[in-house]
Amino acid sequence: MTSKEPLVSNTKCECGHQNPVGTVLCEACGKPLDEKELGAEGNLEMRYDGVARRSQRVNPGLIDRVWNFFSSVKIAIYLIVLTLLGSMLGTIFPQESTFLNIDASTYYKETYGRAGNIYYKLGLSHTYESWWFVTLLVMIGASLVICSLDRVLPLYKALTRQKVRKHRQFLTRQKAVLVTPLTAEPEAWVAGLIEPLKKKGYRVKIDGSALLAEKHRFSRWGPYVIHIGLIIFLLAVLARGLPGLNMDQHLAFQQGEATRIPDTTYYLKNEQFTVEFYSDEEMPEEFRGKKVLPKLYETKAVLYECTADCTDPSREPQLSEVTSHDIRVNSPLSYKGLKAYQFDYDLTPVLRSVQPVLVNTATGEGYSKFRLDMKNPERTFQSGPYTLSLKEKYMDFGLNDEGQPASKSPYPNAPAFLFLITGPGLPEEGQQYFYFPKQLDKEQFQQQAINDRLGGSGRFLELEVQDMSDVDFAASTSYLNIRIDRAMPFVWVGAGIVMLGLILGFYWQHRRIWLRVEDGELVLGGHTNKNWFGFRREIVAILQKVDLIVDEKSLDNGGGLA
Amino acid sequence: MGKARKPIQIVILFLILLLGGYAIGTSVFGGDGKPHEGSKAPSFELLGLDGLTHTLDEYMGQPVVLNFWGSWCGPCVKEMPALQAQYEKWKDEGVVVVGVNVGEDQMTVENFVKLVDINFPVIMDTGRDAVRSYGVSPLPTTVFIDGKGKVDSIHIGQLDLDSLEAQIGKLVDP
Repeated sequence: MTSKEPLVSNTKCECGHQNPVGTVLCEACGKPLDEKELGAEGNLEMRYDGVARRSQRVNPGLIDRVWNFFSSVKIAIYLIVLTLLGSMLGTIFPQESTFLNIDASTYYKETYGRAGNIYYKLGLSHTYESWWFVTLLVMIGASLVICSLDRVLPLYKALTRQKVRKHRQFLTRQKAVLVTPLTAEPEAWVAGLIEPLKKKGYRVKIDGSALLAEKHRFSRWGPYVIHIGLIIFLLAVLARGLPGLNMDQHLAFQQGEATRIPDTTYYLKNEQFTVEFYSDEEMPEEFRGKKVLPKLYETKAVLYECTADCTDPSREPQLSEVTSHDIRVNSPLSYKGLKAYQFDYDLTPVLRSVQPVLVNTATGEGYSKFRLDMKNPERTFQSGPYTLSLKEKYMDFGLNDEGQPASKSPYPNAPAFLFLITGPGLPEEGQQYFYFPKQLDKEQFQQQAINDRLGGSGRFLELEVQDMSDVDFAASTSYLNIRIDRAMPFVWVGAGIVMLGLILGFYWQHRRIWLRVEDGELVLGGHTNKNWFGFRREIVAILQKVDLIVDEKSLDNGGGLA
Repeated sequence: MGKARKPIQIVILFLILLLGGYAIGTSVFGGDGKPHEGSKAPSFELLGLDGLTHTLDEYMGQPVVLNFWGSWCGPCVKEMPALQAQYEKWKDEGVVVVGVNVGEDQMTVENFVKLVDINFPVIMDTGRDAVRSYGVSPLPTTVFIDGKGKVDSIHIGQLDLDSLEAQIGKLVDP
């Protein structure tokens, strides 16, 4: 569209057809429209059959200019190259989106020094989510749509309205050409070609002594089918941003507890987690005693769906089991688009509850045991004649800045309980008793000494766990990667359509043969988009059927070596 | 085709603009889904210490100071008196101070409330749902929400009496 020449004047061909602006070869007879081109030698430019693209017009307005910008293949290539370069930037250092528990603001500087800091400051740590990268993708999408529309419609029109009789120059300037004297009666000779052409799969049209044979036209739509597939692909990727279509989170599942999966109505229970390692015998010699190689990570998982009281926090949700699966690496639990992958594990046991008994150390008498939960425990317990009321509870016992007992974290690492015990033989107001369920903590925090101070030397009650079966703990925590990707089927459909388009375009070639017999001379022109060698052989074979022996190489009019 | 050409062009360009605008827009403005200053405060539905379920909607029209805390977090303990003082000072103006306990059980929360002697409403985020939707990472974090339900500012770390007063003042009289 840079040319300022008045293109209108010469768009009417000598055959009488009025061509749109930008037409290279007359839509009807195929004669080159440009005077310069008419006088030139060599092969014709057959792209889009020489028709004008839709956007080519005189005096383009604003909308036309935008349209023309995206319609340009040159621009599309620039966009693709820029996107490739941009994508490369994103591969220099790890992307933020792959971090789980890393603080990006310090990570880059600490790990990669100044370069890392600049990388982070430039926003390249989230290249693929950045506005400029998304803008490039959107522009490629626009280019795909507009390029296709701008070409496919005129091409479709040109190919469905082909004239049989073409201008002589149109034939002689193809890449496969034959001009040879012919004494036979023209129309009869041309009619004799129909059968051999049809046998080769050509569709034949005849106009007196002129002929057009054509096959595999559908392969011309291959590129446009690819574009449709790519557009569906891009739209699907875009749709992943919509709420509910995509989820990717890493969650901890403590053994034995149905844990809610946020933003869904599902709960997942880790019934048991197993990790196995290769024994020394199973490993090659050089690894023995040096390496620890995992053999199996497995989470026995049960998925529940909440059926009632799901959002009301004052009620217990009602769950019903929907599926179960032994999750292993590359064998996720999968249910209605939700997938749970094995991701990590932690074998630190987490205490859930203990069932101690109150023991009278003076008499050796033990009273009934009671259940003490780490989370949401009961407030009063009865053990024999004694009443224990829970006064304080510390999940991770320690002392704060003021020297007061306090929890250091919300996790039951070092649980501690302060009871007030009342009953026979105790003071009226009761006796305070500190209880550390874990043996390790009992010693570290000197439970004995604390209680001696609280209850005095005459105290005779102790809380004891008598059997390991009275201790309930989660043996493991399994970390699962929970994913939902509802856009994925569309991505696959898009990719499938791209594949179909590729096959259409690659495995078939659009072949056309034009010929006219006039004044004792046969003029034949052939056009295809690739495999000219095979095409020429086909022409020779067809002509042989009507006893016209032609040398294969003599058909080559230059430029058609591929 | 000639006559329909322009409208088709306009429709296609418009669709591209719409979809492209959406894609670029989400990448520019808080694509991570966390609230930021000026965005709508995410709703929540959590059990209060009073045994009732509380939502953000019930405070609609009132400025809300949402303080995320844990009993084990030192700075949270230290800022409680300031929150209590400001709660008493501003409650007649309609300002609501809500403490959101993060992931602890009822007993711990009750004991803590008694210990630090506060009486503003406290709700319990046992499943860390509000923590997730507000994108809270370190504790304490305080979110100031104006009467229209928009996040006015987010304060990470311990609050002091004066800055707290200034921020609430801004909520009441912007």
